[in-house]
Amino acid sequence: MRLSSIVVKKNLLLKMGFTVALFFFVSLFAFQFLESTKFFPIGVDTVYAAEQAVTAEKPAGAEAKPDAKKEEYQPAPKLTEKDYPQVKGINGRIMAWLVAQLHLWFAAFVLAVPILVFIVEIIGMATKDKRYDKMAYEFIKVSLTAYSITAVFGGLLLFTLVIFYPDFMRYMANIFSPTMLAYAFLFFAESACLYIYYYGWHAMEEGTAKWVHLTIGWMLNIIGTVLMFLANAWVSFMMSPHGVDAAGVFEGNIWHAIHNHLWNPLNLHRTVANVAYGGSIIGAYAAYKFLSARNTEEKAHYDWMGYTANFIAICGLLPLPFAGYWLIAEIYAYSQQMGITLMGGVFAWLFIIQAVLIGALFLSVNYYLWCGMERSKGAERYTKYIKYIAFVIVACFLVWFTPHTLIMTPGELKALGGPYHKYLGPLGIMPAKNTAVNIMLIFTFLSFLLYRRCNKIATVSWAPIGNAIQAAIFVAAIINICILGIYYGYFTNTVLKVGSSVPQVASTLFVIISCMIIDVFMFKGAKEVAPLQWGKIPDRSQYALFILAVSFTWLMGLMGFIRSAIRQHWHVYTVFRDNSPDAFTPTIGYATKVVSIGVIIFMAIVIFIFWLAHISGKKNVSQGAHH
Amino acid sequence: MKIPRLLLFVIIVVISYGIFKAPGILLNQPIPSSLIVMYMFFAVVTTLLWITSTEKDMQGLVGPIKTMIQDPTKKTLRNIVFVIVPLVAGGITYTQLKPSYEAPVELRSIHPAPPSTVKAFGKTFNLATLVNPYRKLEKEDPAKFTQLVKEGGEVYFKNCFYCHGDKLDGKGHYAHGFNPLPLAFTDIGTIAQLQESFVFWRISTGGPGLPKEAAPWVSAMPVWENFITEDEVWKVILFLYNYTGYAPRSWEK
Amino acid sequence: MKTFLKVVIFSVAVILFYAFYANVMIPQVRPAPPPAEAKLDMGSLTMEQFIHMGDEIFHGKGTCELCHNPVGGRAPLLDQVGKIAEERIKDPRYKGKAKTGEEYIRESMKEPSTFVVAGFGVKGTNDTQSPMPVVTSGAIGLKDFEVDAVIAYFQQKAGVTVTVQLPKETPKATEETHVADPAKSGEEVVTKYGCGACHKIAGQQGALGPDLTKIGAKKNKDYLRRAVLNPNADIAPGFPAGMMPPDFGTKMLSGEFEILIDYMVKSK
Repeated sequence: MRLSSIVVKKNLLLKMGFTVALFFFVSLFAFQFLESTKFFPIGVDTVYAAEQAVTAEKPAGAEAKPDAKKEEYQPAPKLTEKDYPQVKGINGRIMAWLVAQLHLWFAAFVLAVPILVFIVEIIGMATKDKRYDKMAYEFIKVSLTAYSITAVFGGLLLFTLVIFYPDFMRYMANIFSPTMLAYAFLFFAESACLYIYYYGWHAMEEGTAKWVHLTIGWMLNIIGTVLMFLANAWVSFMMSPHGVDAAGVFEGNIWHAIHNHLWNPLNLHRTVANVAYGGSIIGAYAAYKFLSARNTEEKAHYDWMGYTANFIAICGLLPLPFAGYWLIAEIYAYSQQMGITLMGGVFAWLFIIQAVLIGALFLSVNYYLWCGMERSKGAERYTKYIKYIAFVIVACFLVWFTPHTLIMTPGELKALGGPYHKYLGPLGIMPAKNTAVNIMLIFTFLSFLLYRRCNKIATVSWAPIGNAIQAAIFVAAIINICILGIYYGYFTNTVLKVGSSVPQVASTLFVIISCMIIDVFMFKGAKEVAPLQWGKIPDRSQYALFILAVSFTWLMGLMGFIRSAIRQHWHVYTVFRDNSPDAFTPTIGYATKVVSIGVIIFMAIVIFIFWLAHISGKKNVSQGAHH
Repeated sequence: MKIPRLLLFVIIVVISYGIFKAPGILLNQPIPSSLIVMYMFFAVVTTLLWITSTEKDMQGLVGPIKTMIQDPTKKTLRNIVFVIVPLVAGGITYTQLKPSYEAPVELRSIHPAPPSTVKAFGKTFNLATLVNPYRKLEKEDPAKFTQLVKEGGEVYFKNCFYCHGDKLDGKGHYAHGFNPLPLAFTDIGTIAQLQESFVFWRISTGGPGLPKEAAPWVSAMPVWENFITEDEVWKVILFLYNYTGYAPRSWEK
Repeated sequence: MKTFLKVVIFSVAVILFYAFYANVMIPQVRPAPPPAEAKLDMGSLTMEQFIHMGDEIFHGKGTCELCHNPVGGRAPLLDQVGKIAEERIKDPRYKGKAKTGEEYIRESMKEPSTFVVAGFGVKGTNDTQSPMPVVTSGAIGLKDFEVDAVIAYFQQKAGVTVTVQLPKETPKATEETHVADPAKSGEEVVTKYGCGACHKIAGQQGALGPDLTKIGAKKNKDYLRRAVLNPNADIAPGFPAGMMPPDFGTKMLSGEFEILIDYMVKSK
């Protein structure tokens, strides 16, 4: 045992040393850069600043105020193509795009895992079920290597931006330098928390120490979230600049720049999506381990882990459309021009692709639940409902991805008499899509409810009433959603049209929450029809988990592109123009190729991480056996 | 009696194809083939997902195929299938790749993203803030408003109705001469989804004023700023909404 | 290893399917390239660019917005000036030479006191003298074509026909980069940078900013330096913040700056 603990320590030192060294290097570079922004190429100012620095020693006059040395801010520079350095053989934009996207994927993953781990650890503490603790530890182990890789890509991103977009970075640094410094220090704190959290896991497993451990996990999450919010501020500032005037001159209040119009919608959207994303990646990990498991015990463990991860992913997935809806509504509120670019023009097609991907996500989630019913013999009572659920989901899905603009051959156009299709036309606009997606969510939830009760029979006396109430809630909600979608969506004015989506969402959420509550009480102390056999699930179901992870990654890449691309030819929307040769908006095909390449790189690295976790696990097992 | 799964699968696929084709055959509103491909793809995938979700049905689906390939007694059937499948695949590939005289697929966007500003009548209009100057009269002075709608109607019948029809249903006298047909304003998916500023832009600058990115454009809509006044455009817009009973899209109550 | 390969192939197939779908099934619309930016090539300037230039001058270099804004009420609002200008000529109080709206606006920019809108004159002059600086001189120093651009902007904003002619040719580069001779005395600095438009200083009678004729008695050198370089650091009581252009620090030569500070310190 002693040897293995030394190995662990050496490992720890190596990793910590590596990350810290990398970080020092990057921050050194960053400081240098921030420093250089302070020199303005003008006469009086510099003279004055120097003089001020000398006279600062003397007691200042009575009138001198502390903010007297307030920095002067420059308007956003007007750049020309020559201001963007070219490196032969490398396209700066694609480089920055890929690196930023890879950084974001890893960051989303390493931010999500501590959230999941923290929750799983609490569940483990509450239920005193050791399995949860073991799984939580495995989660965090997987994310540890990803953490260093996130830092690597973060550093690479900084380099890339400084090399290819120096003036832009200088401008941003001028406004955001305090937050950039805070970011750097928080990153240290985050690393410290993570290492203590991970390496102290077994040392702090019992009694009060567990509470200390949990607190560290809590801090880890808080710091991680603040880090993300800071980064979100920079990004959302680029979309909806605030705290600067029309020429881009910073007004001096950094809180205004951080708390810009899209900051909070973006924060919410990214936090929720991170949870779903983290769940899906862990799910893929479990699926891989399940497929390569050698014995039933391992199979059962990874089946259970995959199920839990998938469950978390669904929990994140369900509220995601609503968070996205809020973000888009806020984009419209901030700038209608930007909103129209987003929804009406070239990008309208991107939402058709998005619809296909989200459909794939829903189908695979449902498929996994249906396959999961194989785990118990008692599920046979419910399998006959699968076909109806499948039918509704696919019908809704087809409505959802019917485009507003149909692609037609001239022959079809002639036959139809024009671009407008009598039956598909109404399906192409938002009310139909909102209705479809809400019904899709409700039926996915129904799949989940059926899965939950596949091995149970409710024993409480009011079970028939409970079932009836649940059925009534489902029916009422679906009718409500349809009326809202069809009547208010098509036959009233725009305000009601857009407004009607809110009660639709409320109906869906009401179904989910109320039925879940009824279910929990109804199946308290329920009788088991047949035991739930973990590991008894067909191999093909695991591929649903892979689809989930891959689609999610690809979708994030695509949506990241849209979010960034709706700024069009602006670095900072309407304030700081992008005049680089790459300022053009690419076609969808071009963008999706870049995204696909990014996903493949990401997946390759993720597989590498899994493999690392795999061999390090092997080593410990064999050494443990030796002693 | 339980239908064999493989047969069921084939039946479902055939029925869904029939459903997607039906609007074209029965109602003269064909679903574009590009869309049918995607519809069918997801119908097939979902059916497969449903059937393979339980082990028993999975066997019912895969079993007959396995037997057909492995069972020595099914030799004749196997040979027939092995000849037909490549032939069908080859046939599909051939019809897909065969050069045809049909013009390439055209992409028409019903909602092209409008530019932020539009130049018409020698002025520049900001589409984001542009409103119909007469719209407010609807509440403030209904009598005047009715009068304006009537004047708009006159403009319509002097200029627009030849193509867009006397019932605003896109079936004017000359409509059949155009491909695509003039827009039917009575359809819920047309002016009911648009702001008045958008309609103003479309009328004033016509087909040639459409954004380049949605090319190739085929529109016979004239550039109306050359023929009628700004005032008349606003009045005819009042008429369009008034006649069809739709309210223009707006962000205020 | 077999599982590994299967999973990799499966994942790559999913990615390729999405890429295929997005590239083949979705029409490839080529978005319009970014609009060309207004360049200072006068020969090929379009009216739209010219108007845009006027817009920028109004909000930026011309410093017009400092007074012509709805907040301070120091000067008339100019949204409709393109239209109103023609009525102004018919005003019985009007004694200028302008015949058209365009000429009126140009005149009011170059000789602000020709006609002062009722209630906006310098106090005690009964609206015969305007507090507005001449925009073609001093710190603002607009060129003639820039004045024209602002007029075009006003006309477009008011919705009347733009009558201004586009400039024929690019002004000579030397004119653009011409640097005025350094001022030699405090009075010269004040004149060169148009301080008197707002302040009472060196014999000029500006009324928008604080009176600086006795400033040396109240404030020290440090304060005055700061007040010029960063006007909003301290605000004299009774005067709104954000009025004084913040960019004198980048415009003045350091010699001139020192002369000006010395001049003010000595004004007791």
